[in-house]
This record gives sequence, structure tokens and C-alpha cells, in this order.
Amino acid sequence: MAIFVEQLLNALALAGLLFLVSAGLSLVFGILRVVNFAHGVFYMLGAYLGFTTVAVSGWFWPALLVVPPVVGVVGALLEASTLRFIYRRPPIYQLLLTFGLALILEESVRVLYGPTAKGIDPPPLLEGAIGIAGTLYPRYRLFLIVLSLAVGAAVWLFLQKTRSGLVIRAVAQNSEMADCLGADIARVRTWVFGAACALAGLGGVAAAPMTTAYLGMGIGVIVDAFVVVVIGGLGSIPGSMAGSLIVGAAQTWGAYYLPETAMVIMYAVMGAILIFRPWGLFGEEE
Amino acid sequence: MRRREFLKAGMVGGTAVAVGGPFVLRQADAQNPIKIGLPTVLSGGNAQYGTQAKRACQLFGKEVNARGGILGRPVEFIYEDTGADPATAVRKAQKLVEKDGVKILTGTVLSSEALAVSAKCPEWKVILMSTINGAGALTAKSYNRYFFRVNTSGPMGARAVSLYLAEAPMKRFFGLGSDYAWGRDSVASFSAQIVAAKKEVVGRDYPPVGTKDFASYIGKIRQSRAEGCYLVLPGQDATIFLKQAHQFGLTREVKPIMEIVELENIKAVGEAMVGTIGSSRYPFTVDTPKNRDFVKRFHAMHGVYPDMFDGETYEGLEWLAQVMQKAGTADDVEKIIAAWEDSSYEGLEGPFFMRKCDHQAVQPGFAVEVVKDPAYPHPVPKILATYPGDRVTPKCRTEEFV
Amino acid sequence: MNGPRALALAALAALAALPWVLARHQLSILTDLLIFGLFALSLDLIMGYTGMVSFGHAAYFGLGAYGSALVLVHSGQPVPVALLAGALLAGVVALPVGWFSTRATGIYFAMLTLAFAQLLYTVAYKWRDLTGGSDGLAGVPKTTLFWGGPSLATPHAYYFLVTACVVLALLLCRALVRSPFGRALQAIRENERRFVALGRAARPFKLVVFVIAAALAGLAGALFAPFRGFASPEVMFWVLSGQGLMMVLTGGIGTLIGPILGAMVFILIQEVLSSYTEHWMIFSGAVFVLMVIFLPGGLVGTARRLVTRA
Repeated sequence: MAIFVEQLLNALALAGLLFLVSAGLSLVFGILRVVNFAHGVFYMLGAYLGFTTVAVSGWFWPALLVVPPVVGVVGALLEASTLRFIYRRPPIYQLLLTFGLALILEESVRVLYGPTAKGIDPPPLLEGAIGIAGTLYPRYRLFLIVLSLAVGAAVWLFLQKTRSGLVIRAVAQNSEMADCLGADIARVRTWVFGAACALAGLGGVAAAPMTTAYLGMGIGVIVDAFVVVVIGGLGSIPGSMAGSLIVGAAQTWGAYYLPETAMVIMYAVMGAILIFRPWGLFGEEE
Repeated sequence: MRRREFLKAGMVGGTAVAVGGPFVLRQADAQNPIKIGLPTVLSGGNAQYGTQAKRACQLFGKEVNARGGILGRPVEFIYEDTGADPATAVRKAQKLVEKDGVKILTGTVLSSEALAVSAKCPEWKVILMSTINGAGALTAKSYNRYFFRVNTSGPMGARAVSLYLAEAPMKRFFGLGSDYAWGRDSVASFSAQIVAAKKEVVGRDYPPVGTKDFASYIGKIRQSRAEGCYLVLPGQDATIFLKQAHQFGLTREVKPIMEIVELENIKAVGEAMVGTIGSSRYPFTVDTPKNRDFVKRFHAMHGVYPDMFDGETYEGLEWLAQVMQKAGTADDVEKIIAAWEDSSYEGLEGPFFMRKCDHQAVQPGFAVEVVKDPAYPHPVPKILATYPGDRVTPKCRTEEFV
Repeated sequence: MNGPRALALAALAALAALPWVLARHQLSILTDLLIFGLFALSLDLIMGYTGMVSFGHAAYFGLGAYGSALVLVHSGQPVPVALLAGALLAGVVALPVGWFSTRATGIYFAMLTLAFAQLLYTVAYKWRDLTGGSDGLAGVPKTTLFWGGPSLATPHAYYFLVTACVVLALLLCRALVRSPFGRALQAIRENERRFVALGRAARPFKLVVFVIAAALAGLAGALFAPFRGFASPEVMFWVLSGQGLMMVLTGGIGTLIGPILGAMVFILIQEVLSSYTEHWMIFSGAVFVLMVIFLPGGLVGTARRLVTRA
């Protein structure tokens, strides 16, 4: 029983982290039709900026509030200065462009921070482990689960219940039609891209106490996030949530029960789902 | 010219300058220096190792050239980034050999890179001097006479820890190694020796390289009721594991034992790493007069304390210089090989001897513990035991011990 | 004689003369570039002419490399036998992968190919007895051209073998895209629904071209293993698949010759930059960003546009 509860919590915590990264990736695809390879680098940027904020202020919580908007602004500026000019091209060009951006950002972080990983301690409130169902479980991981649920709910409510959310959904459905109806498409795109980067930045700050901030963390997470988004269906927030749960569970339980498959289980699950549902669980046929 | 065409022209011109410029600079550097090539990792997740090799070269180069060089010739290092990819490593090594004319390669980081480059050395007729690569196969199954290993190998590290643990009270161990050659071979080597010491290995697991969540493995280790966990994880993975094990409270129940205790890990993990034991290929706290002086000079130049491969690379270069002096040549590879075989060298950490039979340097092995020391800004490896070279070096061209 | 043909003949003459002009290391870089050019060319066949973007093309390059490495290490057969083995292995494995993957389109097709590629990568990584695991297979020899024939161990000989393979593959691809089969592929690329509405099944066409492209990538990998002397899991990692896409786009998608040039430029940019600065990724990243924005058709596409405009 204790083992089961622990493994369940492990899966949920990892799923939470994956959701924070993949939600933005999915949004950007749904609304901008861009496969953003640089998304993982914004996650990494969040983790490193989180380290700096903690180092300067001595506190963890400000990092959680300050870093996402900063990463969001960086993302929005990059969108407005590069991506904006090539939306009419086939999607593969946007992938190439974001790959170029990822290289630039990744290396810039290394120039600024050096090659050594940067550790952040969780805030004192979340330090250490507590007993749950006969097992010791880190408080910080429980916080991650709560945080990702809250963010998921907030994003969903924003898209469903606010006027801005309505405009965004309209652009996602049919950008030309939305344009005719007076939506400022360029602005919507920049805002959405910035918001998605802010989400990735938030994921990075949240991940840092668990994984430290290190070079290559962005590349490592982007592949996982792609898998999550594809399993869930591109552009769907509930899909990202389902995909995160599936990948989180596959990775933790796979590592526990089928250790020899740990390298590949995520891809096997994605392959199996796509063979039966070629557009993902919540996606629509194009 | 319209704006867009102007920009295009500018781009082409800019590229031409970027490509052509350095060629001109390099041509000016005459006077026939001794060139040493480093196809090493300077970008991406393993860049810390290439950076260490480079730091050691910078210090050695400055010092040796201030003394008039080797055989009266200045020493020049040429660094090439392999991006931790063996294909690129071979390409860069080939460029260093064919274009720059280097006779000595060093600085290879990954075992796969070293194995690929080493296999090409007989064809190129150049020496590959390992100061980082741990794979036992390099001086065993894949031995060739152009490959020299100055550093402590993976099996030697496992041996040093096992010798220490054989006398420690712990009885039950878990082996956790990254899922590649180094991790699997080291866990196997460790297990064999622990069993030989009449102790028990209660579990083994091999997480993939780049694992970012070790929670499942931590759960397994805890259930195994092991007293010690032998960890063979590359830098970043080890950092993440130790952080998470600390958060789960695992490190209070299970003693972490690492095949390599690196400063890079200690700095990233912080106080949570205090109490960890393991082996170190070069602990900078070795108390020899030569090492004390080296640490001081290194710190003065780089502002940090030397990590494992800073020390090992410096030792390799110093030994190589000594061999070149003895051989009276820096170009005749066959003579350098002959002079190096069965030669001795007094290193930072103690006496070294280059075995002729497999080109593995016999050298002391260390068991260390991470402790806090007010003299340093971060915890440091304290030496628990030093083993003489003949006890920690495997039988010739094998990965086994007597 | 028209322009393109003269250009082609000039290029051939240049390829034949270069070994006597270039320094040794330049010749080995050129050989490397041609091998990756062949890889990019094979990707262009599915990407540029059929609109199937694969994120897993490196798997077939890797299969070719392992196939040829195993033949050469264990049996010492002539290199062409190894090339055939590598290409065949890649083609045969591509058949089931293509069958499943062509059920999906667009990004989902890409992700399925990625999933299968990672599966194959894991097999290569884990099957230590056969593949050497993460350490790979080192010491792959360049044997002979045929039984008792001349050795390919000299830089010149191997360069000509690679050049011959690339030129033949290019001619094959050109014939293929101009054939009725090739026109069908391009019709699928332009509008798959219309193609199906005309009463034709698209999937068989896609499957066949997928297998051909995989076999050509396998040939490139099979040339690579003896040239570099080893095969390791990195040659089938997704990073190389991604680089393949960059090569095609750099050179010009759907132009066949473009991707070969693109591969050369792509590798040369990194080669040169990384020799002079550790921070080469910043510069090569910037080059890609500028290239995407200002050279939409890649090198060849842009050059053609300039020529037609002039």
C-alpha cells in the first residue's frame, strides 16, 4: 500500500511538472500553429533566473512571481522580432527558426552562468518530508502537484470564461475569420506566445528545487513535452493534462516495474496511442 | 541596392570575415611550437569536463612556456568542441591530425568518443593520452599501443571504494549505475568485489542517462533496506539524484557511496552532500608538497579549486613533457611511446608508473568523504584511505584484480 | 547545351579534380560532407516531394551504419557488400515503420517516426553483445572494392566511392521524381484529399517512397561507418534527425541538389565556428534564424529565384 501511494504521488508530481511545460507548447501550437522547439529553453531560462532571484533576495517565493513575467517578456520580444515574419510559410520553417533561437538562448545561458549546475533549496515551509500512508514524502513534491492543478484550472478558466479567452479561441479556430471580425491577430499571437513562455518559465522555477538548474534541461524536457502534447492532441489544454498524467505514470511506473524499458517506454506509449488515435486523445482530425 | 539585398550581402560578407579572419591570425604563429590537440566537450551538458581539461592546459601552458617550453619549443594547445558526439570527435581529431599536424591528442571526455578516436590512432600514428576516460576496455579489450591512460580508470575507482568498504561495518549495498557502459561495468565490478568481501548486493538498477526524476529508484533503494548505495552516475545525473534523495530523506537511512566524488557535484548539491563517501581520481586535498603548491597556483589562475580532471590532466601533461625530454623529440611518436613505457613520474597525488603491457598508469587510489571545512567556500573531499598503486590497478589488459 | 546541364557537368568535373587540389584534411571533410549530403538528399525525397516530415530519419542512417559495421568487423567482406547490407537493413526495417506511420499525417506522422526511431535507438543502445551498446563498434575497416580488388583505405579511393554513390543516388532520385510515380507523390503533397478523391490510394505511394528514402539514408550510414571507423548509438539519435531537417531547409526543400549543398553548408558552418569559439552555438543559431527569415527557399531556391528575376 505504502509503495503504491508513493508511486502514485511520484507520477502525479512528475505529471505536474510536465503539464506546466507542455500546456504552453500546446497553446502555441493551437493558436500560432508553431511547433516551438525553443519552448524547453524558456523552461531552462526560468530555472536559472529563479536561481538568480533566490540568490539575490534570499527567498524562494518572489522567484515564483517575478520570473514568469520576465521569461514571458523575453518570449514575446523574440516572437515579435522573428517569428512574426514567417507565419505564412509551412510549419517546418517555424520549427527551424525556433531551433535557431534555442541554440542562441541555450548558449547565452551558459555564457552567463557557466557550466556548473545551480542548486536551489525549497522554501523552509516546503523543506523535508512528511509521512503519508506509511511513507515519507517530500513536501515540495506535494506542492508541485497542487501548483500544477491550480495553474491548469486557471488557464482553462481564462480560456473559457473571459473575453480575451474567447478571442484567443476564435483565433485558434479560424484566424482569418477572427481577423475579419476585428481581432488583432498579431497582438493575440504575441500575447499568447509570451504567456506560453511565462508558463514554461514558471515550470522552470518550480522544477529547480527538484532537479537543480542545469544546461541541457531544456532539450531534455522539450522531447517529453512534445510527446505529452501529441498524446493529448495538439492545442488542447485538457489533452495536455491527460498526456502529462500518462507520460508521468509511464515514466515513474515504468522505471519501477519495468526498469529495462525506462529509456523507451514513453515513446512506446505514444506510438501505441497514435496508431489507434492518429490525432491524439483530445485532438481533432485535420 | 534594396534593403533586403543589402542585408544579404552583409550576411555573406560577414560570414566570409568570420571564416577567413582566424586563418590569418594563426598563420602568424610561427616558431614551430609543439601542438597538442584536444577534441573535447566544450558545449552542452558535459562541458564541465572539457572545461577542466582546458583549465589544466592553460595553467600548464603558461608555466611551461615561461620556463622556455619543452625541448626549447613553446607548447600550444588547440581546442576543438566535439559536442559530446563521437562522430564529431573523430572528425575533429582527424582535423587536428591532418591539418594542424598534432602528434598528441588528449581531452576526450566520453568513453564512446575515446574508443572511436583511439581505434583511429594506429592509422594516424598519433598518441591519445587519456586523462578523463574511465572505460576499462580502453586498456583491456580495445587496447592499442597508441593509447595511454594517465588517469585512474573506472574499475580502479570501484576497487578503491571496495577495499575501503571491505573493512567498513556496512553489509548490504544497492548498486545504481547510469544505463551505459561506465555505469553497468562499474556496478558489475563493484558487485563482484563486494561479494568477494563476503557482503551482499541487495539490488541493482540502471536509470537512463539524463534522468530528471529519480523518485522511483529512490523508493526501490529504500525498500531494499540497503545500508549503502553505490552510485555510478555522470555529473549532472549525480547532482539531481543526491538532491532528490536528500529531499526524500533517503540519505539519512542509506549512505551514498560514489565512484567519483567531484567538486562540481559538491558545489551544486551543497551541504546535502556532506557525509557522502566514495573514491576520487584526484582529490585536491592530497597532502603532498607538490600538490599543495599546485592547488595554490591553480587557484591563483582560475579562482576555483582544482577538480578531479584538472589534476589528472595537469599530471598527464607534466608526465608527457618529462617523457618528451627523455625521448629527445616531440615529433617522433614511436620514440615517445618507447620512452613512456615502463617510465616513472612523481605526480601531484603520489608516484606513477606507466605499465608497458597495457599503458595503464599505476597510481594511488583514494577513498574520500565529503566534509565541511571552514577553510573552503564549499564542502571538500577528505581522504579516508590511500591505497598504493599495485593494490588498485587491475591485472594487465583485464578489468580484474588479484 | 543548356545552363543546368553545363552546371552539372562542371560540378562533376570539379568533383573529379578536387582530390588533387585539396589538402588531405580538406578531402576528408569533403568526403564527410558528401555522406551527410546523401543523407539529406534521401530526406528531401519524402519531405520535399511527398510532404512527409520525418523526425526519425536518423534511425535509417544508423541502421545502415550498424549493418555495414557488423559486416565489415565480423566478415571483412568488400565495402560494397557492406553498403548493400546497410541499405537493405534500413529498407527492411522501414517497411513496418512506414506502414504504421503513414496512417497519420503532418505533425503526428512526424512524432510516430520519432517514436519508432527512439525505439530503434534503444535497441542499438541496449543490445551490447551485438552493437557494443553506448560505446559503439569501433575499428570498422575500409576493406576492398571487390574480392581481391583494390583497397579502399586511401583517402582518394574512399572519396571516389562516396562520390560515385552520391551521384548515382542523385540521378536515381531525379529519375524517380520525374516519373509518373514521382508526379503522383507531388500530387499527394499538394493535396492528399483530392488525390484520394480521384479514386487513388495515397498510402501505398507514401510507403514505397518512405522505404526508398530509408534505404538511401541507410546507404549514407553504411558509407559513414567505415569512413569514420565506428558506429555508435548517436548516429541514430533524434538530434541527427533534427539536423537532417536543417540541412534540407538550408539547401532548399524539394530541389534534390539543394539538400546536398545544405548539408555541406550546415556542417561547415558548425565546423568552422566551433574551431574558433566555444560559443559557436550562438552564431550558428543566429545564422539559422537569419536564413529562415531572409532566404525562404534555402540556398538553391533563393539562387533560382534570383536567376529567374535577372
